[in-house]
Amino acid sequence: MKLLKNKLLLALLVLISGYGYIISCTHDNSVPPPAAVVGIKYKPGTGVFVPGNMTAGNPNEWKLDKVHSSVLWSGAYIGAAGLLTGRFNQFGMHNVLPAEMTLYLPAGQPVKDTSWAFNEGDDSKTYFNGYVQMNTSNTGEPGRDSGCNIGNMGTQKISYYGGQYCLRDSNIARLQTTKVAFDPSTGNYIVNFNLTWKGKLSTPLTESLVGRLSYVKRATIASAVPYDVFGLQLLFQLNIRDFGVTSTSIGDKVDIQCNMNFNNK
Amino acid sequence: MGDDFLAYIERLQIMAFFAGYPLIYALVQVLAGRQACKSGSFANRLVQSLPYAYALTATLFLGMLLRDLYPDYSMKNISGQFQDPWLRVFGLLAMLNWIPFISQKPLLSLLHSLVFFFFIIQDLLLHITTSSIGKEVIQNDMRIFTDSFLLNTVTVTVILAFSLIIARIRKR
Repeated sequence: MKLLKNKLLLALLVLISGYGYIISCTHDNSVPPPAAVVGIKYKPGTGVFVPGNMTAGNPNEWKLDKVHSSVLWSGAYIGAAGLLTGRFNQFGMHNVLPAEMTLYLPAGQPVKDTSWAFNEGDDSKTYFNGYVQMNTSNTGEPGRDSGCNIGNMGTQKISYYGGQYCLRDSNIARLQTTKVAFDPSTGNYIVNFNLTWKGKLSTPLTESLVGRLSYVKRATIASAVPYDVFGLQLLFQLNIRDFGVTSTSIGDKVDIQCNMNFNNK
Repeated sequence: MGDDFLAYIERLQIMAFFAGYPLIYALVQVLAGRQACKSGSFANRLVQSLPYAYALTATLFLGMLLRDLYPDYSMKNISGQFQDPWLRVFGLLAMLNWIPFISQKPLLSLLHSLVFFFFIIQDLLLHITTSSIGKEVIQNDMRIFTDSFLLNTVTVTVILAFSLIIARIRKR
């Protein structure tokens, strides 16, 4: 009798889990992507963009349009399925020096976004420095933002610093390019860079990574005083386990997308 | 699933440990069959190792919780990190199977683990009857269920191997 009950239980469990597997393994038909176009060789343009002193009204000095830029992150939740996504509210393009790693009043950019240059035709003259304030990570989901989102990255919430911007090395991730090279097969740039972040480690770790940079061409915006804009988008991936992040809510690999817009107003 | 995404992830985490146990339990009971009644037989040892294997799984679950909380074990951090502490506490109750009095009743471990298996049944029913649960959720459930089944297979194997080694040492 007991054996019969066990057999019945086994049959039920196999039936239920089998049905679950059938549902989960059924694929919807998907449209195949268009065939790749081969043989096209792109040539870089001749644009030269430098920030100078970011003097307002100087059309030769390009300013980071922080308000219309973004740094986004995404990773598979529990490393198994759809994406967890979020953004960093505070970031900039400055090589943050040790003397500048301190607290700032939350008004505008804490340090000038002047540590970059983009030369379309001569990639040896292109370089970038950037940083994000990790505790400004924002998922748009209150349950996550008030929960473990910040703690899992090894830093403290903004309220911990009395609402001030914190550029201490425990709270910022820094990016510094080592080489930028034009890729004629895509028209993009291959960017080698060092990423420095403490995460949940005892000291900041610097890791060499590779990303892809695409350039959105310069365009003139018609207004009372016309001005020009251009954009840069950097995509790369990092393994957050290297930085001591142990949360099982997100997978090992996290994709980062930096969308930077500039103007010469 | 509810509105709380973090609670959903926590539920998946706990399912990864316990949801696969009922299938292992039923498989072992059926494979052992009537041989399970013969004291000292391999089948008997296999059936007896089930609750201890379940307790080992719960201990691994406790280890994961402690790792997630490291290095801040304060109540503030615990309440901040855990969306549904009662479900976790219920999961940790499986560690009571280390107590011989409780482990003598393997049915208790089955009933405990069925709570987590019912989450899968619930999602399947909601998927069939309403559109509130998408196929992605079922895919998650089944991946987690597979992982859980493998984990529980490993814990049963470890406990069984340990029990055989102890028995051999005692014979000598």
